[in-house]
Amino acid sequence: MRLIPILALMLCATPALAAPEVYHLQPELSSVGFETDFGPDKVNGTMPVTLADLTLDFAHVGASKVAVTLNAAGADASFPFATQAMRGPKVLDTAEFPEITFVSTKVQPDAQGATVLGNITVRGVTRPTSFHAEIYRQQGAEVGDLSHLTIRLTGAIQRSTFGAVGWHDMVGDEVRLNILARIERAN
Amino acid sequence: MLNDATHFGWISRLIHWAMALLILSLLVLGTKLANIQPGLATLWLYGLHKTMGLTALALVLIRLIWHRISPPPAPLGPPNAWETRAAKAVHHLTYVLLVLIPLAGWVYASASGLDIVFADRWVIPPIAPVSEAWENAGLLAHSVLTKLLMGVLVLHVAGAMRRVVQRDGTLRRLTLG
Repeated sequence: MRLIPILALMLCATPALAAPEVYHLQPELSSVGFETDFGPDKVNGTMPVTLADLTLDFAHVGASKVAVTLNAAGADASFPFATQAMRGPKVLDTAEFPEITFVSTKVQPDAQGATVLGNITVRGVTRPTSFHAEIYRQQGAEVGDLSHLTIRLTGAIQRSTFGAVGWHDMVGDEVRLNILARIERAN
Repeated sequence: MLNDATHFGWISRLIHWAMALLILSLLVLGTKLANIQPGLATLWLYGLHKTMGLTALALVLIRLIWHRISPPPAPLGPPNAWETRAAKAVHHLTYVLLVLIPLAGWVYASASGLDIVFADRWVIPPIAPVSEAWENAGLLAHSVLTKLLMGVLVLHVAGAMRRVVQRDGTLRRLTLG
């Protein structure tokens, strides 16, 4: 995929782009990668993105909004035991809490993209967090065509703050997230 | 094949030495697992420990059943001598521990919520609910009883060595029948 950052476009919006635009997820093209430490090794995997509703205001980036819902129950790790452990009651407890949600409260543009501050809910526990965001035009899109975009959110959470403390003596507390959501303009 | 009043049949001898080898290996492996940092390279050792432990449980149950079918010979020496009574007590305690230790490990593994896979192929059903309390209790019991078994096995081997020194024929009938 050819990824072309459009941060500059966001910061130098033309009048035609001034109105906030609503975008919806293209779920089949979106996923979340995660990674954590397992002794000297890494455990990684993916989690489907169920929902991503974004309102992007290219004229006033700070007015943009992001809401993402992840299908924790559909998470897969790099080996079967890790998948079972992660979905189980000691970590994500997906039988009780099948989704992870993130809702932004503030978007701050910066030199590399933007910092999206918000609240993430894991295991029914909501904590403030932040993600680094970059937005790109999708492959094949013409310059200036913002109908289909790719948003990448990267960040990390401490699983223990959500009560996901299982196997804390074996598996790292920090879980690094890499959310790749492909979105299309609502209209 | 069958035991008689003075000899061990080959099935009893085979089970005895197979279990001796298996239990020694389990003690070494279990001690190693308790002291290593888990990682992808060592993950298979946990599965191996579970497979070996379940095999040991199966063997001790087979042995107990076999001894019902074909009772082993009585210990050599005077029946009321303290050595004979001590040997019997050690044997009985060993059997109890060889049943309880794998059961405690099975409870511990069941309560973790992870599948127990035998020989990397067959999933063994859990025997305890997924629960931190059950998990902690299972691990504690597994650990404490294993240490007790180590002590009991030291007594067992010491008693066996004493019989070897006395040349009373116990070791011979457990090896050659």
